[in-house]
Amino acid sequence: MEHADLIERIAGTLRHEVGPAVTDEYARTQAYMAAVVLGKLAAEMRASAADAAANAADLDALFADLATFAAREPLPRALTGALESAARERSDAHLSRLVEQLYAAREALGAARFDALLGRVRETLRARLERALAYSA
Amino acid sequence: MSDEDLGTAGVPARIRDYLATRLPQARDLVLDNLQRIAVGWSHETWLFDARWREDGGIRTLGLCLRRDPGNALLRELSDLGEQFRVLQCLEATPLPTPRPYWYESDTAILGRPFLVMEKVPGTCPSPWGRDGRAYYAAAAARGVLPESFTDTLATLHTLDWRAAGLEFLGVPAPGTDFAQREIAKWRAFIEQTDAPPDPLLTDLVCWLEANAPATTRLSLVHGAYRTGNLLLDGDRISAVLDWELQVIGDPLYDVAYVLSDLNREGSELLSNLVARETFFERYEAATGITIDEDVCRYYHLLYAMRSAAFWLSASDLYARGASGDLRLARTAWSVPVVLERAARELGY
Repeated sequence: MEHADLIERIAGTLRHEVGPAVTDEYARTQAYMAAVVLGKLAAEMRASAADAAANAADLDALFADLATFAAREPLPRALTGALESAARERSDAHLSRLVEQLYAAREALGAARFDALLGRVRETLRARLERALAYSA
Repeated sequence: MSDEDLGTAGVPARIRDYLATRLPQARDLVLDNLQRIAVGWSHETWLFDARWREDGGIRTLGLCLRRDPGNALLRELSDLGEQFRVLQCLEATPLPTPRPYWYESDTAILGRPFLVMEKVPGTCPSPWGRDGRAYYAAAAARGVLPESFTDTLATLHTLDWRAAGLEFLGVPAPGTDFAQREIAKWRAFIEQTDAPPDPLLTDLVCWLEANAPATTRLSLVHGAYRTGNLLLDGDRISAVLDWELQVIGDPLYDVAYVLSDLNREGSELLSNLVARETFFERYEAATGITIDEDVCRYYHLLYAMRSAAFWLSASDLYARGASGDLRLARTAWSVPVVLERAARELGY
C-alpha cells in the first residue's frame, strides 16, 4: 500500500469511527481535524512528484523568457543579479528576491517593461498556485 | 503543581481565591454558572457569576475572565495588559464595551496574565454555522440590528480617541504611514515563523507597499468589526468585543472588513446582516466619511496579507510544538486559498 493511501485510510478511520465515538467536544474536534490534515497530506503526497516536475518545467520556461527580455534591453544591475541567482538556485527564497528586485527596479524599468516582466513571473506563480489549490482548497 | 503547569483544571478555585482578595468585604464568596466558553483562537475565556454575602444581603456580580494561554495566535500583538487599557479608555465613551475591573500580570495567581471584566448580558451567535446564519437572517428581516451594527461602527469611528487616552496605541503620521505600519507589522509577524518565503506573498507585500493609500482621517479602528465579535442583547449591540487588533488608523480599514465577502458566507448581506446600500447610506450620514471603494479594495488585499500572516503563524505554532491544537496545523493549507483571492484581486 502506498503511504498516501495508508494515510488516507487512517484519516477515514478518524473521521468515521474515532470522531463519532468521542464525547468530549474538544477531543472530537481534534479527531476530525486530524482526519482533515491527514487527508490533505495524502493528497499533497500523491501530487508531489507530478507537481515538482511541472514546477521545474515552468521555471525553465520562465527563466528562458526572462533571459530573452534581458537580451532585448539590459536590466538594472541588481535585478540582473537577482535573476541570475533565481535561475541558478531555483528556490522560493530566490524567486521572492527576484520579485522584490522587480518592484525595486520599477521606475528604472518603466511601466510597460515592469508590467511585462512581472506579468510573466505571475504566470508561473499562478500555475503553481493552481497545483497547490488542488489539495489545499 | 507549578504555576507554569497550571492547566485549566485548577483555575476555578484560584479565580475564587483571587476574587476574595479583590472583594475583601465579601463573605462566603462562590462562583456560580462557571463556564469556559468555546475554545477560541487566542485567549481563554471564563464566564461566571460571583455571589457573596455582604451587609446582611446577597450580592452578585457577573464577570468575564480572559487568561493568556501562553501559546495563542496573536499573542505577540495583543497582550491582555493592552486590552485592559483599551477597555479602560473606552469606558467613558458612548461605545458599548465591557467594564474592565482588574488586570494581573503576576503569573503566580493563575499561571498566566489575565484580566477580569464585566459579563455583559447578551449572546454572540457565530456567523459561520447554519444556526448563526439563520439568526442573522431573521435579525436582518426585523431591521433593527442592521442599523445598530452600522451605528455602533459609526460611534467607534467618531469617538474622540485622543480625549479617551488611546494615543498610546501609536498614531500614524499623515500620508501612507498607517498602511505602511500595518504592512510592517504583518511582515514582522510572517518573518517570525519558520515558513520559507513565498514568492506570491512577496508579490502581494511589494504591491501593498507600492500602492499604499494616503490616510486622510484617523480614528480608532477595531480591526475585526463583524458579527461574531459583537455581543447582542435582543436586537441591540450590548458590547463590542475582541479588542485584539485595534489601532489608530484609517476608518475605511474597518469599513473594508465589513464590505469583505470573507465575512458574509452564503449571504448577500454584509456581515450576514446589513444590506450594502443601507450600510453605505447610514454610515456615511452618521460619520461624514465618504466610503472610497478603491481604498477599501486596497484594504481587502491588506487583509489577505494579514490572513496569510495569521495562518502561517498558526501552523507554525503547531509545527514548533508550542500548541497541540490540530486546528492550527490545518491552517497551513489555508494560505494558498487566501493567496488565490489576493492573486485574483491583483489581476492574475
